[in-house]
Amino acid sequence: MRGMIPDRVVEVLHGPSWIQIGTRDEALQPAHAMAVGAAVHHDRRTVTVFVPTARASRLLRDLASNGRIAVGVSLASHEAYQLKGTYVSSKPTDDAERAHQEARRNSLLASALEAGYPEAIARPLTMGLAYTPGVAITFRAEEVFLQTPGPGAGTLLS
Amino acid sequence: MGILPDEIKPAMQGVIPSHVVTCSRDGTPNASAISQVYYVDADHVALSHQFFNKTKRNIEENPRAAVWLISPETFEAWDLELEFVRSETSGPVFDVMEMQIEAIASIVGMKGIFKLRAADIFRVTAATKAVGERIPLTEIRAPR
Repeated sequence: MRGMIPDRVVEVLHGPSWIQIGTRDEALQPAHAMAVGAAVHHDRRTVTVFVPTARASRLLRDLASNGRIAVGVSLASHEAYQLKGTYVSSKPTDDAERAHQEARRNSLLASALEAGYPEAIARPLTMGLAYTPGVAITFRAEEVFLQTPGPGAGTLLS
Repeated sequence: MGILPDEIKPAMQGVIPSHVVTCSRDGTPNASAISQVYYVDADHVALSHQFFNKTKRNIEENPRAAVWLISPETFEAWDLELEFVRSETSGPVFDVMEMQIEAIASIVGMKGIFKLRAADIFRVTAATKAVGERIPLTEIRAPR
């Protein structure tokens, strides 16, 4: 069903994944920010991503203006997906979400070390991700794409 | 004096993947990782075009792109705003990028998958540090 997030993509979104957000303004100038952590809602279509407040103002301005959002998610193995959808809402992150983000940074560090990144890169790369204060940005996924490098990249999954 | 400061150059060595966001003519953004952002000169960079993908199609429709980079030395992140100029499939920039892509592919186990099709040259219209995204190195605790 269109926009229904497949099991594997839910696992990746909830796992030690790197999450990038893309928006655009009215002049079609794109903008980027990293998210630290994501939560897929029970309906399997709605997703919340967590962005440092200091990086959220441009995104929120774009989203209030046109609502269009792209979220890329990838593992250290290069397995990657992209969700495209429409903005729903935003709010400051709460204690439970901050705890989720702290756990996410720790799992990112473990996965980076497992993937062979030296400690001198893996630790500052992952534990240097700012996350508080943060904004929880919720959107409704409408399309899900495979984005792992290779001949299947760009395939519409849902 | 160009837009890109010298301190951004380590972020363009391909040690840590960069990200690129583009936007189609109909206003749909696209977010993707990119193996290499190559320093051409103080006002231009080249992005590795490895696959016939949405990023490439979007650039043909709308020349604007946003790129995120991070230095493997200082771990400071940067935002670039870019405008597409041209694609090069030969010449010195292409040759160096092709060699570096092969090296990156070998290191990350993507040999045979990562292959440079073109060096896409962009003019840099803005370069700013991604303030608030990174915790300073001095504040990151070492393992016990």
